[in-house]
Amino acid sequence: MRRRALLAAALLPAAPARAQALLAQVMAALAATRESRAAFVEEKELPELESPLVARGLLAWRAPDRLEKRTTEPFQERLLVEGDRLLLERPDRGTRQETALDAAPEIRPLVEAIRATLAGDAATLAAHHEVAAAGSPARWRITLVPRSARVLAAVQRIVLEGEHGRLLVVETQGRDGRSRLAATPLP
Amino acid sequence: MRRHAPLLLALLLAAAAFALALRHVPLRADIADFLPAAQGEEAAFLLRELREGAGTRLLLAGIEGAPEAELARLSRAMAERLRESGLFAVVANGPPQPTDAEAALLFARRYALSPATTPEAFTEPALRAALEAVLDGLRSSAEPLVRRFAFADPTGAFPALLRGWAQEHRIALHDGVWMAEGPRALLLMETRAGGMDPEAQARAAEAARAAFAAAAPSGEARLLLSGPGVFAAAAAEAIRADVRLVSILSASLVAAFLLWRYRSLMLLGAVALPVLLGALAGLLAVQAAFGHVHGAAFGFGMTMLGVAADYPVVVVAHRAPGESVGEAARRVWPTLRLAVATSVAGLTPMLASGFPGLAQLGLFAGAGLLAAALAARLLLPALLPAEPPALRPLPRGAMDAVAALAARRRLVPWLLGGVAAALLLAGAPRLERDIAALSPVPEALRELDGRLRAQAGAPDVRLVLSVRAPDAEGALVAAERAAAALTAAGAAAAFDHPARWLPSAATQRARLDTLPDAATLAARLEAARAGLPFRPGAFAPFLEDVAAARAAGPLTPDALEGAPLLAARLATLLRPENGGWRALLLPEGAQDPAALRAAAAPGLLVVDIKAETERILDAGIATALRWGGLGAGLVLALLLAGRGRAGLRLALVPGGALLLAFAALHLLGERVSVFHLTAALLLAGVGMDYALFMSRMTQEDAAEDARALGAVVTCMVTTLLTFGLLALCRTPVLHAMGLTVSLGVAAAFLLACALAPPRRGRA
Repeated sequence: MRRRALLAAALLPAAPARAQALLAQVMAALAATRESRAAFVEEKELPELESPLVARGLLAWRAPDRLEKRTTEPFQERLLVEGDRLLLERPDRGTRQETALDAAPEIRPLVEAIRATLAGDAATLAAHHEVAAAGSPARWRITLVPRSARVLAAVQRIVLEGEHGRLLVVETQGRDGRSRLAATPLP
Repeated sequence: MRRHAPLLLALLLAAAAFALALRHVPLRADIADFLPAAQGEEAAFLLRELREGAGTRLLLAGIEGAPEAELARLSRAMAERLRESGLFAVVANGPPQPTDAEAALLFARRYALSPATTPEAFTEPALRAALEAVLDGLRSSAEPLVRRFAFADPTGAFPALLRGWAQEHRIALHDGVWMAEGPRALLLMETRAGGMDPEAQARAAEAARAAFAAAAPSGEARLLLSGPGVFAAAAAEAIRADVRLVSILSASLVAAFLLWRYRSLMLLGAVALPVLLGALAGLLAVQAAFGHVHGAAFGFGMTMLGVAADYPVVVVAHRAPGESVGEAARRVWPTLRLAVATSVAGLTPMLASGFPGLAQLGLFAGAGLLAAALAARLLLPALLPAEPPALRPLPRGAMDAVAALAARRRLVPWLLGGVAAALLLAGAPRLERDIAALSPVPEALRELDGRLRAQAGAPDVRLVLSVRAPDAEGALVAAERAAAALTAAGAAAAFDHPARWLPSAATQRARLDTLPDAATLAARLEAARAGLPFRPGAFAPFLEDVAAARAAGPLTPDALEGAPLLAARLATLLRPENGGWRALLLPEGAQDPAALRAAAAPGLLVVDIKAETERILDAGIATALRWGGLGAGLVLALLLAGRGRAGLRLALVPGGALLLAFAALHLLGERVSVFHLTAALLLAGVGMDYALFMSRMTQEDAAEDARALGAVVTCMVTTLLTFGLLALCRTPVLHAMGLTVSLGVAAAFLLACALAPPRRGRA
């Protein structure tokens, strides 16, 4: 009987009030981090591919809204989100694509999943996703489920993990296939 | 009081009937009603566009006066409500968002629709390059987007299709809705009802306002609305407001003047009755014949109040001492009859002119004049007491001035000749060739429309090409050929045309025929995959879709129920017309109509909108002149029949007045429009009346002469008081008529005085 109670406590999500408090604490810690840099490794597993695709590079965040993802392997690529602007550059091909996030309602939730988290902006996060938090401020996990049905058709879930004010893992579960980005903070 | 009761009762009845009729008769403001029947295919096309083209169904809305977030919310709430209303074929407040069903349909048809479906795209080397590009895309940060379509569409047929549809002009977005500078949220709506249905257009505008109100706008937010429904309402309102102001002002001035002259309120009422009945008759006659009344015809009818007032004035003013009103009416009747007959004769040709607007003017004026004259002859004697009070005599100075004018009569031919020569030397009169200047739509609203259109990126179309075919497929094929040929010839950089949105079935079939059969494609794909990390079967959706596309065949205009956005876009460029189909081609970039015409294949219509509009307006003026000339001929014939050769001399008065009026217009820098010419018809009628009544001055009876002169002076003053005020109106038609008639009436009076039979000494 006692074991079942323990099991239930472990399996059930934290009581809403507690989860809200945790989320607020995590967001506050993230918001306090005004600037950060990290090396990343991204692994994508797709059912259509025989082996995962691996990419490496650098992440740079600057509050309130600038996020840069600079890929160095297997090719140079720069993804920059700042304000309402999304820029994707491929120097090796000389291509440069600029998109207004307002004009791309299907991309925005994916961008905000990471950017609003880094900014500690719970309101924006909740505007695009159902947000659930678990763990403790020292070692937390936030699970996001897109609110838009269209986005949900492609991305079922995004799980973010971190410690205090640092985001360490972003795991995206797609309709089929998934990707995992692990970040190592740089000084 | 009792003896005035019949007159009062009649007045009340007439006024109530007029007010009631005014409330229930629909007023229209369609400028096309004043354009002539089309001469030539270009003009016919343009007139149809003006009357019922896509532009006449377009409603533009701007929301401003609040922060962007609130504007975006209002825009979304309004758009949702309007879409649900079912009144609109299109409600757009941001980039088109096809429904999932429409996106799926277009994706399924991509190989037929996309220009990227070429034989080269499906060769093994091209497929290999396509697969490498897919892999590259999957490695990139754009992977979530790439994945959505890459395994079904590795060759990129769908993105190529969307690129072909992309518009050059992009409106900035906020929160996914159009947000122009200001900030101002923009919405574009296309009504289901045609532009020729004013009630439906008014309903659509009302629905937009209601949707805005229902969106619970915060205090400062306001809606700007522009479109045919708004235009019609605003034009009718502007005309009503102008007419209301002028009729109140001029009615009080005229009443004050007549009261001074008649010294009797009862006589004043007697003047008003035929006027009211005339206006009522005009309104009802036009309503009965046309089912609606054009705003301009209505304005013209109201101005008639001043002219129809002449008839009772003449009857009352000619009453000799001791004579009853009935006897005076009988005595003046032959002259009055001739005056009415010449006026109506001058107007009659307008009925046959073929312009609905002019025909309305003619009918309104003709019916009104007849009714007013009959009322003056038959009703007044019955309603007035036998011996009303005598009139106040005119100041002696006025009579002497007239005598002095008559002494200088020999100068008149020289004066008229001189002015005619000067006009000839000055060249042709300046004609109004800007259709917007004729529109009764208030200028502020036209400006707002221009600004909204510019912000919404609605093209300012100067040149339109068009081609007709017996069926939709034929029109699409013709549009494709014409666009290809003209682009190749360098006549234009590019075209928007219906086949850009939905290629002809022939083109689609040709594309589908280039697709390899299932076995061939599978083999080529397998070879292209070698060495790449794709699993076998990764591209199964691609193979299935190509096979399905080959089996499905082309997408035709009649099978677009599942694609409302595409259908709406196509409808503006391809439409059924008189048993056939018409395709429109809109050239992009600077173009030269001559180059386009030179390169155009036979059957392709090149319409230079501005030049063609000017031609139509010129033709309108020429037609009006022709019918006016015919009317003048009729008047001369009547005069000759009634008065012999002396009658022809009387015609010098209206003729000379016209000449002087147009010379004065020229000096004032006015551009002559069809409205000035219709006013000229009225002016000629008034001038004729003056000449006829002045010719009653027989020199045998000085008192009768004074009465005749007094009657004409009274008429002139009332007319000037009415039309002089109209000249101050902003509505173009009222301004033109007011100015022309007041100038001409003054000239006609002076000429009539000068040409009246000479007096043998002072009275």
